[in-house]
Amino acid sequence: MDIQSSLPSPGPEQHLARLEAEEQANERLYKVLDIGQAMLQSGAEVSRVEDSLRRICLAYGAERADVFTITSNIMVTMYSRQYGALTQIRRVAGQQYDLHRLELLNLLCRRICAEGLTLEETERALDAIRDEPQYSFPVQLLTFALISASFSLFFGGSALDALASGAIGAVLKVMDQAIRRTEANAFLSALLCSCLGGLLAALSVRIGLGENVDTISIGNIMLLIPGIALTNSLRDMFSGNTISGLMRFIEAVLLALVIACGFALVAGLL
Amino acid sequence: MELYKEYIPQLVTAFTGSLGFAMLFHVRRQKLLLASLGGLLAWSVYLLMGRFSDQDVVRYFVASVVLTVYAELMARRVKCPATLFLVTAAVPLIPGGSLYHTMEYFMESELEAFSRQGLNTVLLAVAIAVGMLFPTSIFQLLRRSGRMGR
Repeated sequence: MDIQSSLPSPGPEQHLARLEAEEQANERLYKVLDIGQAMLQSGAEVSRVEDSLRRICLAYGAERADVFTITSNIMVTMYSRQYGALTQIRRVAGQQYDLHRLELLNLLCRRICAEGLTLEETERALDAIRDEPQYSFPVQLLTFALISASFSLFFGGSALDALASGAIGAVLKVMDQAIRRTEANAFLSALLCSCLGGLLAALSVRIGLGENVDTISIGNIMLLIPGIALTNSLRDMFSGNTISGLMRFIEAVLLALVIACGFALVAGLL
Repeated sequence: MELYKEYIPQLVTAFTGSLGFAMLFHVRRQKLLLASLGGLLAWSVYLLMGRFSDQDVVRYFVASVVLTVYAELMARRVKCPATLFLVTAAVPLIPGGSLYHTMEYFMESELEAFSRQGLNTVLLAVAIAVGMLFPTSIFQLLRRSGRMGR
Protein backbone atom coordinates (compact mmCIF):
# COMPACT_ATOMS: atom_id res chain seq x y z
CA MET A 1 0.00 0.00 0.00
CA ASP A 2 1.20 3.47 -0.86
CA ILE A 3 1.85 5.60 2.21
CA GLN A 4 0.66 8.80 0.56
CA SER A 5 -2.72 7.45 -0.52
CA SER A 6 -3.47 6.07 2.92
CA LEU A 7 -3.09 9.47 4.57
CA PRO A 8 -6.11 11.75 5.00
CA SER A 9 -6.54 14.20 2.15
CA PRO A 10 -4.71 17.44 2.94
CA GLY A 11 -7.00 20.13 4.29
CA PRO A 12 -5.81 22.76 6.77
CA GLU A 13 -7.51 21.08 9.76
CA GLN A 14 -6.36 17.61 8.91
CA HIS A 15 -2.92 18.97 8.32
CA LEU A 16 -2.89 20.47 11.80
CA ALA A 17 -4.17 17.25 13.37
CA ARG A 18 -1.50 15.32 11.58
CA LEU A 19 1.22 17.64 12.77
CA GLU A 20 -0.03 17.26 16.32
CA ALA A 21 -0.09 13.48 16.07
CA GLU A 22 3.39 13.54 14.59
CA GLU A 23 4.73 15.68 17.40
CA GLN A 24 3.20 13.43 20.03
CA ALA A 25 4.52 10.29 18.37
CA ASN A 26 7.99 11.80 18.09
CA GLU A 27 7.99 12.49 21.82
CA ARG A 28 6.96 8.91 22.51
CA LEU A 29 9.57 7.58 20.16
CA TYR A 30 12.20 9.59 22.01
CA LYS A 31 11.10 7.96 25.27
CA VAL A 32 11.19 4.53 23.64
CA LEU A 33 14.82 5.15 22.69
CA ASP A 34 15.56 6.31 26.24
CA ILE A 35 14.35 2.95 27.49
CA GLY A 36 16.32 1.09 24.83
CA GLN A 37 19.48 3.01 25.63
CA ALA A 38 19.12 2.30 29.34
CA MET A 39 18.58 -1.40 28.62
CA LEU A 40 21.60 -1.69 26.34
CA GLN A 41 23.81 0.18 28.78
CA SER A 42 22.83 -2.02 31.69
CA GLY A 43 23.76 -5.13 29.72
CA ALA A 44 20.65 -6.37 27.90
CA GLU A 45 21.09 -8.67 24.91
CA VAL A 46 20.48 -7.06 21.53
CA SER A 47 17.56 -9.37 20.78
CA ARG A 48 15.86 -8.44 24.06
CA VAL A 49 16.17 -4.73 23.30
CA GLU A 50 14.75 -5.16 19.79
CA ASP A 51 11.82 -7.22 21.00
CA SER A 52 10.99 -4.93 23.95
CA LEU A 53 11.15 -1.72 21.91
CA ARG A 54 8.94 -3.14 19.19
CA ARG A 55 6.31 -4.11 21.73
CA ILE A 56 6.41 -0.70 23.40
CA CYS A 57 5.99 1.07 20.05
CA LEU A 58 2.92 -1.04 19.32
CA ALA A 59 1.58 -0.31 22.82
CA TYR A 60 2.10 3.39 22.08
CA GLY A 61 -0.25 3.14 19.12
CA ALA A 62 2.04 2.42 16.17
CA GLU A 63 0.58 0.09 13.55
CA ARG A 64 3.97 -1.16 12.66
CA ALA A 65 7.40 -0.81 14.27
CA ASP A 66 10.83 -1.76 12.98
CA VAL A 67 13.75 -1.84 15.37
CA PHE A 68 17.36 -2.47 14.51
CA THR A 69 19.93 -2.54 17.27
CA ILE A 70 23.63 -3.18 17.51
CA THR A 71 25.64 -2.76 20.70
CA SER A 72 26.38 0.90 20.01
CA ASN A 73 23.32 2.07 18.11
CA ILE A 74 19.53 1.84 18.11
CA MET A 75 17.27 2.70 15.18
CA VAL A 76 13.49 2.69 15.41
CA THR A 77 10.83 3.46 12.83
CA MET A 78 7.23 3.77 13.94
CA TYR A 79 4.48 3.79 11.35
CA SER A 80 0.86 4.80 11.70
CA ARG A 81 -1.75 6.11 9.29
CA GLN A 82 -2.16 9.17 11.53
CA TYR A 83 1.36 10.45 11.19
CA GLY A 84 3.15 8.33 8.60
CA ALA A 85 6.62 6.90 9.24
CA LEU A 86 8.83 8.39 11.95
CA THR A 87 12.43 7.39 12.53
CA GLN A 88 14.88 8.18 15.29
CA ILE A 89 18.42 6.99 15.84
CA ARG A 90 20.29 6.82 19.13
CA ARG A 91 24.03 6.42 19.51
CA VAL A 92 24.76 4.40 22.64
CA ALA A 93 28.17 4.60 24.27
CA GLY A 94 29.54 2.65 27.18
CA GLN A 95 28.14 -0.51 28.65
CA GLN A 96 28.24 -1.32 32.33
CA TYR A 97 26.48 -4.38 33.65
CA ASP A 98 23.77 -3.46 36.14
CA LEU A 99 21.47 -6.44 36.24
CA HIS A 100 19.23 -4.94 38.91
CA ARG A 101 18.50 -1.99 36.64
CA LEU A 102 17.96 -4.34 33.70
CA GLU A 103 15.41 -6.28 35.74
CA LEU A 104 13.52 -3.06 36.60
CA LEU A 105 13.59 -1.89 32.97
CA ASN A 106 12.22 -5.23 31.87
CA LEU A 107 9.38 -4.84 34.36
CA LEU A 108 8.72 -1.31 33.11
CA CYS A 109 8.43 -2.59 29.53
CA ARG A 110 5.88 -5.15 30.62
CA ARG A 111 3.90 -2.53 32.50
CA ILE A 112 3.85 -0.20 29.48
CA CYS A 113 2.52 -2.99 27.30
CA ALA A 114 0.03 -4.41 29.81
CA GLU A 115 -1.26 -1.28 31.57
CA GLY A 116 -0.69 1.30 28.86
CA LEU A 117 1.27 3.81 30.96
CA THR A 118 1.11 7.43 29.80
CA LEU A 119 4.22 9.27 28.72
CA GLU A 120 4.50 11.10 32.05
CA GLU A 121 4.14 7.90 34.04
CA THR A 122 6.80 6.23 31.92
CA GLU A 123 9.14 9.15 32.40
CA ARG A 124 8.66 9.09 36.16
CA ALA A 125 9.27 5.35 36.30
CA LEU A 126 12.39 5.69 34.15
CA ASP A 127 13.75 8.44 36.40
CA ALA A 128 13.09 6.28 39.46
CA ILE A 129 15.06 3.44 37.86
CA ARG A 130 17.96 5.79 37.07
CA ASP A 131 18.01 6.98 40.69
CA GLU A 132 17.98 3.44 42.07
CA PRO A 133 21.05 3.20 44.33
CA GLN A 134 23.95 0.92 43.41
CA TYR A 135 26.20 -0.87 45.88
CA SER A 136 28.27 1.57 47.93
CA PHE A 137 31.98 2.05 47.31
CA PRO A 138 33.16 -0.01 50.34
CA VAL A 139 30.94 -2.90 49.24
CA GLN A 140 32.42 -2.63 45.73
CA LEU A 141 35.93 -2.76 47.20
CA LEU A 142 34.94 -5.90 49.03
CA THR A 143 33.47 -7.32 45.82
CA PHE A 144 36.72 -6.83 43.91
CA ALA A 145 38.66 -8.44 46.76
CA LEU A 146 36.20 -11.36 46.95
CA ILE A 147 36.43 -12.07 43.20
CA SER A 148 40.24 -11.90 43.15
CA ALA A 149 40.68 -14.08 46.22
CA SER A 150 38.13 -16.62 44.97
CA PHE A 151 39.73 -17.10 41.58
CA SER A 152 43.23 -17.18 43.01
CA LEU A 153 42.13 -20.18 45.08
CA PHE A 154 40.02 -21.59 42.24
CA PHE A 155 43.11 -21.82 40.01
CA GLY A 156 45.11 -23.56 42.72
CA GLY A 157 46.64 -20.72 44.73
CA SER A 158 47.47 -21.00 48.43
CA ALA A 159 45.59 -19.14 51.18
CA LEU A 160 48.39 -16.56 51.28
CA ASP A 161 48.14 -16.04 47.51
CA ALA A 162 44.41 -15.50 47.85
CA LEU A 163 45.00 -12.90 50.55
CA ALA A 164 47.49 -11.01 48.39
CA SER A 165 45.24 -11.26 45.34
CA GLY A 166 42.28 -9.96 47.34
CA ALA A 167 44.25 -6.97 48.61
CA ILE A 168 45.48 -6.15 45.10
CA GLY A 169 41.91 -6.50 43.82
CA ALA A 170 40.79 -3.77 46.24
CA VAL A 171 43.63 -1.51 45.10
CA LEU A 172 42.63 -2.08 41.45
CA LYS A 173 39.09 -0.94 42.27
CA VAL A 174 40.46 2.34 43.64
CA MET A 175 42.57 2.76 40.51
CA ASP A 176 39.63 1.88 38.27
CA GLN A 177 37.46 4.47 40.00
CA ALA A 178 40.14 7.15 39.62
CA ILE A 179 40.63 6.40 35.92
CA ARG A 180 36.91 6.27 35.25
CA ARG A 181 36.56 9.81 36.56
CA THR A 182 38.88 11.06 33.81
CA GLU A 183 36.80 9.22 31.18
CA ALA A 184 39.92 7.77 29.64
CA ASN A 185 39.90 5.27 26.78
CA ALA A 186 38.80 1.79 27.96
CA PHE A 187 41.94 0.16 26.58
CA LEU A 188 44.22 2.65 28.33
CA SER A 189 42.52 2.03 31.65
CA ALA A 190 42.82 -1.76 31.16
CA LEU A 191 46.53 -1.34 30.38
CA LEU A 192 47.14 0.76 33.49
CA CYS A 193 45.15 -1.61 35.73
CA SER A 194 46.97 -4.69 34.45
CA CYS A 195 50.38 -2.99 34.80
CA LEU A 196 49.58 -2.07 38.39
CA GLY A 197 48.22 -5.59 39.05
CA GLY A 198 51.38 -7.24 37.74
CA LEU A 199 53.60 -4.86 39.68
CA LEU A 200 51.80 -5.39 42.97
CA ALA A 201 51.75 -9.18 42.49
CA ALA A 202 55.54 -9.24 42.01
CA LEU A 203 56.02 -6.91 44.97
CA SER A 204 53.84 -8.93 47.32
CA VAL A 205 55.81 -12.09 46.59
CA ARG A 206 59.02 -10.21 47.27
CA ILE A 207 57.88 -9.01 50.67
CA GLY A 208 56.56 -12.47 51.52
CA LEU A 209 52.84 -11.84 51.24
CA GLY A 210 51.93 -14.56 48.76
CA GLU A 211 53.98 -17.34 47.22
CA ASN A 212 53.37 -17.51 43.52
CA VAL A 213 53.07 -14.52 41.17
CA ASP A 214 51.00 -16.48 38.63
CA THR A 215 48.29 -17.64 41.02
CA ILE A 216 48.07 -14.17 42.57
CA SER A 217 47.79 -12.54 39.16
CA ILE A 218 45.12 -14.90 37.82
CA GLY A 219 42.68 -13.67 40.48
CA ASN A 220 43.19 -10.09 39.31
CA ILE A 221 43.15 -11.10 35.66
CA MET A 222 39.67 -12.63 36.09
CA LEU A 223 38.50 -9.19 37.22
CA LEU A 224 39.79 -7.49 34.10
CA ILE A 225 39.59 -10.11 31.35
CA PRO A 226 36.45 -9.91 29.16
CA GLY A 227 35.54 -13.60 29.39
CA ILE A 228 31.84 -12.86 29.78
CA ALA A 229 31.92 -10.53 26.78
CA LEU A 230 33.63 -13.23 24.69
CA THR A 231 30.99 -15.82 25.53
CA ASN A 232 28.14 -13.36 25.04
CA SER A 233 29.55 -12.31 21.67
CA LEU A 234 29.28 -15.90 20.48
CA ARG A 235 25.77 -16.15 21.89
CA ASP A 236 24.87 -13.02 19.91
CA MET A 237 26.26 -14.48 16.72
CA PHE A 238 24.49 -17.81 17.17
CA SER A 239 21.18 -16.08 17.79
CA GLY A 240 21.45 -14.18 14.51
CA ASN A 241 22.91 -10.84 15.63
CA THR A 242 26.11 -11.27 13.69
CA ILE A 243 27.26 -7.66 13.60
CA SER A 244 26.84 -7.07 17.33
CA GLY A 245 28.51 -10.39 18.04
CA LEU A 246 31.50 -9.59 15.84
CA MET A 247 31.91 -6.15 17.39
CA ARG A 248 31.93 -7.60 20.89
CA PHE A 249 34.20 -10.45 19.87
CA ILE A 250 36.85 -8.13 18.45
CA GLU A 251 36.54 -5.81 21.45
CA ALA A 252 37.03 -8.74 23.84
CA VAL A 253 40.07 -10.05 21.96
CA LEU A 254 41.70 -6.61 21.80
CA LEU A 255 41.04 -5.98 25.48
CA ALA A 256 42.52 -9.37 26.41
CA LEU A 257 45.55 -8.53 24.30
CA VAL A 258 46.04 -5.20 26.08
CA ILE A 259 45.72 -6.86 29.50
CA ALA A 260 48.25 -9.55 28.61
CA CYS A 261 50.48 -6.78 27.30
CA GLY A 262 50.22 -4.93 30.64
CA PHE A 263 51.17 -7.97 32.72
CA ALA A 264 53.94 -8.92 30.29
CA LEU A 265 55.41 -5.40 30.35
CA VAL A 266 55.81 -5.50 34.10
CA ALA A 267 57.17 -9.05 34.11
CA GLY A 268 59.73 -8.00 31.51
CA LEU A 269 60.84 -4.99 33.52
CA LEU A 270 61.31 -6.76 36.86
CA MET B 1 39.86 -38.82 49.29
CA GLU B 2 42.56 -37.03 47.35
CA LEU B 3 39.98 -35.87 44.86
CA TYR B 4 37.78 -34.25 47.50
CA LYS B 5 40.69 -32.17 48.70
CA GLU B 6 40.93 -30.77 45.22
CA TYR B 7 37.20 -30.47 44.53
CA ILE B 8 35.93 -28.81 47.68
CA PRO B 9 38.01 -25.62 47.41
CA GLN B 10 37.02 -25.36 43.75
CA LEU B 11 33.33 -25.72 44.55
CA VAL B 12 33.48 -23.22 47.39
CA THR B 13 35.34 -20.67 45.26
CA ALA B 14 33.00 -21.24 42.30
CA PHE B 15 30.23 -20.20 44.70
CA THR B 16 32.06 -17.15 46.08
CA GLY B 17 33.36 -16.17 42.63
CA SER B 18 29.82 -16.12 41.22
CA LEU B 19 28.67 -14.23 44.29
CA GLY B 20 31.40 -11.66 43.64
CA PHE B 21 30.39 -11.15 40.02
CA ALA B 22 26.71 -10.99 40.95
CA MET B 23 27.55 -8.17 43.38
CA LEU B 24 29.77 -6.51 40.78
CA PHE B 25 26.78 -6.48 38.43
CA HIS B 26 24.50 -5.09 41.15
CA VAL B 27 22.26 -8.11 41.63
CA ARG B 28 20.09 -7.76 44.74
CA ARG B 29 19.06 -9.80 47.78
CA GLN B 30 17.73 -13.33 47.30
CA LYS B 31 18.87 -13.33 43.69
CA LEU B 32 22.46 -13.07 44.89
CA LEU B 33 22.09 -16.45 46.57
CA LEU B 34 20.38 -17.99 43.52
CA ALA B 35 23.12 -16.69 41.21
CA SER B 36 25.92 -18.04 43.42
CA LEU B 37 24.18 -21.42 43.72
CA GLY B 38 24.03 -21.42 39.91
CA GLY B 39 27.81 -21.01 39.80
CA LEU B 40 28.20 -23.88 42.25
CA LEU B 41 25.83 -26.03 40.18
CA ALA B 42 27.68 -25.27 36.93
CA TRP B 43 31.05 -26.25 38.35
CA SER B 44 29.63 -29.37 40.05
CA VAL B 45 28.25 -30.55 36.72
CA TYR B 46 31.59 -29.82 35.08
CA LEU B 47 33.44 -31.89 37.70
CA LEU B 48 30.84 -34.66 37.61
CA MET B 49 31.09 -34.89 33.82
CA GLY B 50 34.78 -35.65 34.29
CA ARG B 51 33.68 -39.22 35.13
CA PHE B 52 32.04 -39.67 31.74
CA SER B 53 34.25 -37.72 29.41
CA ASP B 54 37.75 -36.33 29.35
CA GLN B 55 36.85 -33.89 26.58
CA ASP B 56 36.67 -30.39 28.00
CA VAL B 57 34.32 -29.23 25.26
CA VAL B 58 31.76 -31.90 26.22
CA ARG B 59 32.05 -31.11 29.93
CA TYR B 60 31.61 -27.37 29.37
CA PHE B 61 28.70 -27.95 27.00
CA VAL B 62 26.75 -30.14 29.43
CA ALA B 63 27.48 -27.81 32.35
CA SER B 64 26.24 -24.87 30.30
CA VAL B 65 23.02 -26.69 29.30
CA VAL B 66 22.23 -27.59 32.92
CA LEU B 67 23.05 -24.07 34.06
CA THR B 68 20.76 -22.51 31.45
CA VAL B 69 17.84 -24.74 32.44
CA TYR B 70 18.47 -23.69 36.05
CA ALA B 71 18.61 -20.01 35.06
CA GLU B 72 15.36 -20.20 33.08
CA LEU B 73 13.54 -22.03 35.89
CA MET B 74 14.75 -19.55 38.51
CA ALA B 75 13.86 -16.63 36.25
CA ARG B 76 10.28 -17.88 36.08
CA ARG B 77 10.24 -18.42 39.82
CA VAL B 78 11.38 -14.94 40.87
CA LYS B 79 10.12 -13.18 37.72
CA CYS B 80 13.21 -11.58 36.22
CA PRO B 81 15.23 -11.97 33.01
CA ALA B 82 17.17 -15.25 32.82
CA THR B 83 20.24 -13.23 31.76
CA LEU B 84 20.63 -12.17 35.36
CA PHE B 85 21.50 -15.73 36.38
CA LEU B 86 23.14 -16.76 33.12
CA VAL B 87 25.79 -14.04 33.14
CA THR B 88 26.72 -14.37 36.80
CA ALA B 89 26.50 -18.14 37.29
CA ALA B 90 28.47 -18.92 34.13
CA VAL B 91 31.52 -17.14 35.55
CA PRO B 92 33.33 -20.29 36.79
CA LEU B 93 32.92 -21.77 33.29
CA ILE B 94 33.99 -18.65 31.38
CA PRO B 95 37.39 -19.31 29.76
CA GLY B 96 38.97 -16.13 31.14
CA GLY B 97 42.19 -17.84 32.18
CA SER B 98 42.45 -19.55 28.81
CA LEU B 99 41.84 -16.27 26.96
CA TYR B 100 44.58 -14.62 29.01
CA HIS B 101 47.09 -17.39 28.31
CA THR B 102 46.29 -17.14 24.59
CA MET B 103 47.25 -13.50 24.56
CA GLU B 104 50.24 -14.18 26.77
CA TYR B 105 51.59 -16.62 24.17
CA PHE B 106 50.93 -14.04 21.49
CA MET B 107 52.95 -11.45 23.41
CA GLU B 108 55.82 -13.91 23.80
CA SER B 109 55.49 -14.68 20.06
CA GLU B 110 55.16 -18.41 20.70
CA LEU B 111 52.92 -18.76 17.73
CA GLU B 112 52.31 -22.49 17.90
CA ALA B 113 51.21 -22.38 21.54
CA PHE B 114 49.18 -19.27 20.70
CA SER B 115 47.19 -20.93 17.95
CA ARG B 116 46.60 -24.06 20.04
CA GLN B 117 45.47 -22.08 23.09
CA GLY B 118 43.47 -19.64 20.98
CA LEU B 119 41.58 -22.44 19.27
CA ASN B 120 40.94 -24.00 22.68
CA THR B 121 39.57 -20.74 24.07
CA VAL B 122 37.22 -20.19 21.15
CA LEU B 123 36.06 -23.81 21.26
CA LEU B 124 35.21 -23.57 24.94
CA ALA B 125 33.38 -20.29 24.42
CA VAL B 126 31.46 -21.89 21.53
CA ALA B 127 30.60 -24.93 23.67
CA ILE B 128 29.22 -22.64 26.41
CA ALA B 129 27.36 -20.37 23.98
CA VAL B 130 25.75 -23.25 22.08
CA GLY B 131 24.95 -24.96 25.37
CA MET B 132 23.04 -21.84 26.40
CA LEU B 133 21.29 -21.59 23.05
CA PHE B 134 19.34 -24.86 23.17
CA PRO B 135 17.50 -24.49 26.49
CA THR B 136 16.88 -20.78 25.82
CA SER B 137 15.17 -21.53 22.49
CA ILE B 138 13.10 -24.35 24.00
CA PHE B 139 11.91 -22.14 26.85
CA GLN B 140 11.06 -19.42 24.33
CA LEU B 141 8.95 -21.88 22.36
CA LEU B 142 7.18 -23.00 25.53
CA ARG B 143 6.47 -19.39 26.47
CA ARG B 144 5.07 -18.62 23.04
CA SER B 145 2.85 -21.71 22.91
CA GLY B 146 1.67 -20.96 26.46
CA ARG B 147 0.60 -17.48 25.36
CA MET B 148 -1.29 -18.88 22.38
CA GLY B 149 -3.08 -21.42 24.54
CA ARG B 150 -4.56 -18.73 26.73
